[in-house]
Amino acid sequence: MAFNLTSENNNGVAKITLSGELDASVAGQFKTAVEQAAASQAKSLVLIVNDLAYMSSAGLRALVFAKQKMGAGTTIYVVGAQETVIETIEMTGFSHSVVLLESYDAAQIEVA
Amino acid sequence: MSTETLSVPDSLDSLKPVRDFVKHAAEAAGLEKKSAYRLVLAVDEVVANIILHGYQEAGLSGEITVERTVHPDHLRIDLYDSAAPYNPHERDDPDHLDRPLEDRPIGGLGVYLARQGTDRMHYEYVDGRNHNTFIVLRTEAAGVPAVSEG
Repeated sequence: MAFNLTSENNNGVAKITLSGELDASVAGQFKTAVEQAAASQAKSLVLIVNDLAYMSSAGLRALVFAKQKMGAGTTIYVVGAQETVIETIEMTGFSHSVVLLESYDAAQIEVA
Repeated sequence: MSTETLSVPDSLDSLKPVRDFVKHAAEAAGLEKKSAYRLVLAVDEVVANIILHGYQEAGLSGEITVERTVHPDHLRIDLYDSAAPYNPHERDDPDHLDRPLEDRPIGGLGVYLARQGTDRMHYEYVDGRNHNTFIVLRTEAAGVPAVSEG
C-alpha cells in the first residue's frame, strides 16, 4: 500500500492522517507536514494512523523533529496505531513522550 | 534449501521491493506476523542506512544485493553492497531511550530496532564489500546458529 498523507489545522490542533508504509523514502513528506503544523502554532499534533501498516525509524525521527520544532509544551497524540507500530513506539521509549489513543477523543484532545 | 537473490539500485525507491522480498521469505519460513514485521523493519533500517550514508552521502553509487535462505531452523537474510565501509554494530545501543523527545539526538534508533528485531546480526567487510547478515529463528526452541565467515 502506497504512502499517503493528509493534514488539516483547526483551532490549535494539527491533524495529520498517515496511511500505507512510512519509510525513509517518504519521511520528507511527513517532516514537511510537521513543519507546517509548527508554523501554524498548533498546540497539539494528532496523528491518525489506523491505516498505517508500517513505520520505520524515519517516522520516529520526524516525531523527534516535531517535538523540537513545536516545543516541549506540544502534545503529540498517536491515534489508532496497529500493534506492530505501537511496539516500535514502545521499544524506543517514545511511548513516554507521545499519547497513544485507540480512537480520536475530542474531549481529551481539543480541550487540552 | 535454496537461496534467492534480489539486486536493487542505490535509491530509496528500492526500500519497498526489498521489504516485499524479505516479507515473502518470512512467510515462506512460516514466521508469525510480529516476528516477520520485526525482520522486515530490521532489514529496511540497515538498507536505508546503506543507501543514505554508504552510497549517497559518500558520493558513491552501486547496488545492494539481498539474499534470502530458508534453513530448517532459521531464516537468513544477507545484504551485500559496495558502499563506504560501515559496521552498524560499532555504535553502542542508544542510552537516551528514557529521555523526552525534545532532549534526544535524532538518530541511532534504526540499528537499535534492527538488533531488537532479530535473533542475530553480523557484519563483515570482505573483498571491498559490506556484508550484513540477519538471522531469525523459525521455532523458539532452536538454538541461534553461528554465522559462518566469508
